[in-house]
Amino acid sequence: MTEKLEGMSPRSQENSPRTSDLSPVTHHPSLKLAVYWTGSCGGCDVSFLELGAALLDVLSKVEIVFWPALVDAKRADVEALPAGAIDVALINGTLRTEENREMAELLREKSKLIVAYGACAHLGGIPGLANLSQREEILAAVFGDGFRPTPPPGGSPEDAPPELLAAALPLSAAVRVDYVVPGCPPPPGLISRTFDALLGELPPTGHVFASEKALCEECPRTKEDRRLTKVVRPHELLPDPEKCLLDQGMICLGPVTRGGCDAACPKAGMPCTGCLGPTPNAGDQGLAMLSALASLVRAGEEGEAAFASEDKVLDAIVDPVGTFHKYALPATWKVPSSLRGGGSGRGGRP
Amino acid sequence: MFVCHCGKNIAGTVDVARVSEALARHPGVVYATHHEYMCSEPGQELLRRAIREHRLTGAVVAACSPSMHETTFRRAAASAGLNPYLVEIANIREQCSWVHEGPAATDKAIRVARTMVEKVKGNHPLTPVEVGHAEKCLVVGGGIAGIQAALDVADAGFEVLLVEKSPTIGGRMAQLSETFPTLDCSQCILTPKMVEAAHHPRIRLLTYSEVEEVSGFIGNYHVRIRKKPTYVNPDRCNLCGECAKVCPIRVPSEFDCGLSERAAIYIPFPQAVPSSYTLDEGSCLGLVPLRCGECAKVCEPRAIDFDMHEELLEEDVGAIILATGYELYPKEAMAEYGHGTVPDVIDGLQFERILSASGPTRGEVRRPSDGRVPKEVVFIQCSGSRDPELHKPYCSKICCMYTAKHALLFRHAVPDGKAYVFYIDIRAGGKGYEEFVNRAMEEEGILYLRGKVAKVFRDGDKVMVWGVDTLTGKRVEVAADLVVLAQAVVPTTGAPELARKLRAAVDAHGFLQEAHPKLRPLEALTGGIFLAGAAHAPKDIPEAVAQGSGAAAKAVAILSAPVLTHSPEVAEVDEALCSGCRICAPQCPYTAITVDEVAHVNEILCEGCGTCVAACPSGAMTMRNLSDVQVQSMIRAALSEVPEPAEVKGG
Repeated sequence: MTEKLEGMSPRSQENSPRTSDLSPVTHHPSLKLAVYWTGSCGGCDVSFLELGAALLDVLSKVEIVFWPALVDAKRADVEALPAGAIDVALINGTLRTEENREMAELLREKSKLIVAYGACAHLGGIPGLANLSQREEILAAVFGDGFRPTPPPGGSPEDAPPELLAAALPLSAAVRVDYVVPGCPPPPGLISRTFDALLGELPPTGHVFASEKALCEECPRTKEDRRLTKVVRPHELLPDPEKCLLDQGMICLGPVTRGGCDAACPKAGMPCTGCLGPTPNAGDQGLAMLSALASLVRAGEEGEAAFASEDKVLDAIVDPVGTFHKYALPATWKVPSSLRGGGSGRGGRP
Repeated sequence: MFVCHCGKNIAGTVDVARVSEALARHPGVVYATHHEYMCSEPGQELLRRAIREHRLTGAVVAACSPSMHETTFRRAAASAGLNPYLVEIANIREQCSWVHEGPAATDKAIRVARTMVEKVKGNHPLTPVEVGHAEKCLVVGGGIAGIQAALDVADAGFEVLLVEKSPTIGGRMAQLSETFPTLDCSQCILTPKMVEAAHHPRIRLLTYSEVEEVSGFIGNYHVRIRKKPTYVNPDRCNLCGECAKVCPIRVPSEFDCGLSERAAIYIPFPQAVPSSYTLDEGSCLGLVPLRCGECAKVCEPRAIDFDMHEELLEEDVGAIILATGYELYPKEAMAEYGHGTVPDVIDGLQFERILSASGPTRGEVRRPSDGRVPKEVVFIQCSGSRDPELHKPYCSKICCMYTAKHALLFRHAVPDGKAYVFYIDIRAGGKGYEEFVNRAMEEEGILYLRGKVAKVFRDGDKVMVWGVDTLTGKRVEVAADLVVLAQAVVPTTGAPELARKLRAAVDAHGFLQEAHPKLRPLEALTGGIFLAGAAHAPKDIPEAVAQGSGAAAKAVAILSAPVLTHSPEVAEVDEALCSGCRICAPQCPYTAITVDEVAHVNEILCEGCGTCVAACPSGAMTMRNLSDVQVQSMIRAALSEVPEPAEVKGG
């Protein structure tokens, strides 16, 4: 865990945005805000709308300097800004291309605070599952063998599509991240908590805008029969509305995942898939869940005779990596050099 | 870093000087040495001196298993001013020198020692957990072992609850005729103890009672005891016996092993304690609604009370002694010996009742089928014992002796009778035992035949016994009048269930498991629970009495302690991180975890096994002095390469 948060660890003194002249919140009439997407589905950009009426209040207090989805500022406009001109840049999406990384580095230079917004920026996210395959394999599968990014007909070399990085990376692999707003996408409660902080009292660097405790704490379902005798997928069961989903055999990642969403999925009868990321001490989210499941599974006779039956229960888990590491694979799993292949880009974790 | 040679035990395989030299160069180690015997006084002094001179903040002794000398070295360190929990043992004997050879052993010893250095670096000074305790002892089982334990604890000044399942204390010993090798009358030497227990001011007798529930932990057990109604007020009952005479019911007597009958209202034997009749609800015609009531009509002292209710008692006790005794392996399990269907094939306890002056035949040897005096009696030893294929693999220990006694007493009772004893080996290890068996063999004219009996079956009014005398190689066939089977000793039926309630382990055969076969034979693995008598393993009377006294001494050590201490190296919850998901609680083999909003660890119950730590999904549960960070650096220390030896200067 400590290593995983390296990119978010307290900044060195000379880079601190809270020294000397700046105090973006109290001394400036409005917060200079940038929102950027790297390898992203767009959901994070839409998530701001979930604030509802409160969004109007937020908008009245910020000045949007750069937000490709919303305003017509270009990369060159950002490049023209002096260092530190942006108060806060919220970056969503995984880092997948050279351009993603360049933009992250550019925004880092121009911004006092960088916020990793959403599961992709936080942990690598669902696109991070691509790290199970080599970059070349991915390119070949999508574009055919021997594909190379080339400029469009008549274009100059710099018009070529950006090179793919060797692996999908969380934002912290490229730049220092000050805060994290987790979630896929971040739930409205956490978004407003974030703006409250950005427009008011700043928490210590490295803060994750979510609960320190696991989701179970805010889940209203009753936890009684702490045994896993079978594994079911969500479509296979109409769950009891009162009982813990894990007790009913659904692989719910609530116990290893930060709270903060008010247990939205479990309340709706769907197991938590872990989008808010691991609790501070859980370490590798997927491994922590596997370890817990190994403790919970009970089948067959007592003792060694049970092993085979218990294995059978766990064998019913379809797509273990996608289940246990749905969001955090790039943040927890160092891509082996054998998968990294040649070419440019920093593979795996820094 | 202190590396022990353990004579040749470690130094014969591991290059201890090299281990010491390599560890001296390990980051954080300021002092490294080796010594012939670290556990010796000079070895301990070496540790104490180094702590003082180098102001050590941690020490690792690379030696034998921590279960041997961890306490020794921690105590030595404490006397030199170092917190004992900053001392760790690197096991380079059991886990290294004894199981490896060649240079690889030295390489591993270095890794093991380094690993523990990394652990010590992350250790925090701790103080033992302290807790108060109840000053009362529960003894379960009122046989001779339980009685002795109860008397000894009570004599030491502590209250005792003596719980017995049957209506009287006395146990198996009360059923015996005479005891080997002295031929004392069993009841004559037992009943004074029973009376003493009954009248002891600090012993509370709870007969016809069973332990229903046990919770808590060493020093602080909470027990619930169910006392069944006897429907007879013992203070009023004058033992006139009129009730039993008018009772229309007759059922086999448990005390006489089915050789006689008793009424539904009965007293097991005249000297029973408490001295009172008991109405057995199970065999009575019916109490609700009352269907007979004849007994009450003739009871002059009006002792019978059909409205008596069962009582539930709740008590706090500091220690529990389990003395639940034994049963005999059922004859019905012996297909080769007639499945228990031949009336004149009986077991050893039945023969005790036949020999007993208070027994169904008033001490005359008569056989069950027709009451005739048997002339030819065959005694079969190891019936169900030492037979791993079909029955019990173990030796029941007491049978050689009681069979010799049986044969001898039979010859005394029937001087013209013939006694045959089939045996595998004679095991007579005990004071005066060998002499007793020799007397039976040589002076009493008992024919000992070395061999197993293949088959026993009924033939008219005889019982045919087919066997082999392995010393002569001849087949032996005896047309016997009576066959006595020395059935294997097995634990009482309810013992494993009771053990489960107490979280005390039982072995594969249901006998209670001791904490260490050599050094902790009186203790269960669960703290504060002690074992006495045949519930632990087959035992004769002197052994059961000795173990009863021993268990009492262990119990008194708890009851008399001003405060109990427990290792602080236990699991701990970070309440700021615990979500109360409850995954940990059912994993705990010691039921040390309770959960409300967050999980709580009972530090006295926790044995530090770490199961909950592995199960905790959010990392809120940690082990004191064995954090994830420590484990990670320990793994790194174990796996990183061992550097080449430094150049040796000089010669």
